[in-house]
Amino acid sequence: MAKLTKKYGDNEVLKGVNLQIAEGEFYALMGPNGSGKTTLASIIASVRSPTSGQIEIYGKKPEHAKELIGYVPQENFSSPVLTGAENLMYFAGLLGYSKSAAQKIVEELLNKIGLTEDASKRVADYSGGMRKRLEVATALFPDIRILILDEPTTGLDPSARRKFLGLIQELRREKTTVLLITHIGADAELASRVGLIDDGQIIADDEPEKLKKASGLKDVMNIETTIKTEEVANILSQFSEKKRVLETDVGYRVYCQDVDKATPEMVRALDACGCKATKMDTEKPSLEDVFFKLTEKTVREVS
Amino acid sequence: MTATFGKTIKEFIRQKTILFWTIAWPILWVLIGSFSFTGNAPSEIVAYIRGAIALSMSVFALMTAGIANLPGNIAQDRERGLLSKLMSMPINPWRDFLGRILALLAFSSLAAILVTLVGYGCGARFSYSLTGLAQALGFLLLISLAAAGIGMLIGTFIKHVHGAIMSGVGTAVVTAAISGVMTPYASLPWLLQQFARIYPISSASAAITFLLVGKDYAGYDPLSANQTALTVVISLLLFVGGLVAYSRFCWRKE
Repeated sequence: MAKLTKKYGDNEVLKGVNLQIAEGEFYALMGPNGSGKTTLASIIASVRSPTSGQIEIYGKKPEHAKELIGYVPQENFSSPVLTGAENLMYFAGLLGYSKSAAQKIVEELLNKIGLTEDASKRVADYSGGMRKRLEVATALFPDIRILILDEPTTGLDPSARRKFLGLIQELRREKTTVLLITHIGADAELASRVGLIDDGQIIADDEPEKLKKASGLKDVMNIETTIKTEEVANILSQFSEKKRVLETDVGYRVYCQDVDKATPEMVRALDACGCKATKMDTEKPSLEDVFFKLTEKTVREVS
Repeated sequence: MTATFGKTIKEFIRQKTILFWTIAWPILWVLIGSFSFTGNAPSEIVAYIRGAIALSMSVFALMTAGIANLPGNIAQDRERGLLSKLMSMPINPWRDFLGRILALLAFSSLAAILVTLVGYGCGARFSYSLTGLAQALGFLLLISLAAAGIGMLIGTFIKHVHGAIMSGVGTAVVTAAISGVMTPYASLPWLLQQFARIYPISSASAAITFLLVGKDYAGYDPLSANQTALTVVISLLLFVGGLVAYSRFCWRKE
């Protein structure tokens, strides 16, 4: 796609996006809510039209390449009153398969997503992870060459999320082109290439490790604190690169240049303001940290 | 089309609230009406009053299916992202539409038959010829089409599921009450009598009562050439209006 824009009234959601995804590539588009990533995915899936710019899928416009695209929107679109198998048979019917061909394909798909034993259960009785796997299966019918997944792991518990990502990794081995839309750095790490999108523009685009390396971030310290106040954030920012700290659910992430030197000083400074660090650990920077460094915005909303 | 038909009819049949409001509730009113509203009537006409009650509740079942269940189904599919998913697939919106309408017709016919059978079990009797029966079936189809048209308009413009269902139920109940579907035409004030003649569901319902129970129970002549033409034209206009709104706005690319 080249110079792709999308406007809703005066609101420009996409501002000249240029992007090329190769066949068989696993591309993750990561950004916060409102950054334009879902709009971009829905334009590729032919659900929305761009305001200007060019987009081609295997040399065709999206509306003429629908048979090649398997789009999985963010919402749970499967029918809860139908069984898993009935839902897939419905989509097979829409795609024009005969009943016998559809039954064979549905059987294979259920096997692929590990839902064979639950095929006759109503979707209302599925867990969130099972339902999402079923919905991905609706985009895996033969002839589909591009899988577009919009925030597929949102709302899944950690176990269901891992299982789901395992399925995506298997698809990657089958050389399906995957476009993953996410705001979760750990999900984007699985991709062969990651685009960071902010305010309708792709601000960085590379392999995950290269993005991290290019960011110049060294160690990241996770600090759980007894209290979270502006004063605590200010103290910790003295030890962080460019005086930026990221607030998390339980404390802060501090971007240290020298963790060994900074740790005792940080503990002392926190003690002095009446705040205890209940847990401190160090880890390598994530893609979310890279995004934070580039934009000073968090990808995920923190509570 | 077959896929959408199968999915939609299963969704109608497997949801208890839909079954209750479309089938159980009219049946309940047939039971109540057949034994409560005939107390002072001469015994020779009780069976026909019961027939008129059974028919009016069958019409109400058709109204509920089209005006409340259909928009609920459309709004549900939109709210849960299914319409987006369908738009990304190489399928024809008209086939999806036909599948939905055929499922609606099948389900509402089932509801109407069950309600009529219960009425028959309660002592309802009808007086008709084969031609009259065929004409009545034609008017039943018009009711379904008009109700589907109103339902598609509601489902297209009211985005949320509960809003769409509640608006549909409200529209069905209020219009049935003020147009003579659930009340005798003669008891309506002049203004509502005019509405009853214009509202095609009411005029078609009166035509069915006229054909299957007798002209005294319809309150006016709904089979006059002008009235029949009005019923047919407005039914089709509502249906086409709903169809155009559904295909243009629900399947429109933003």
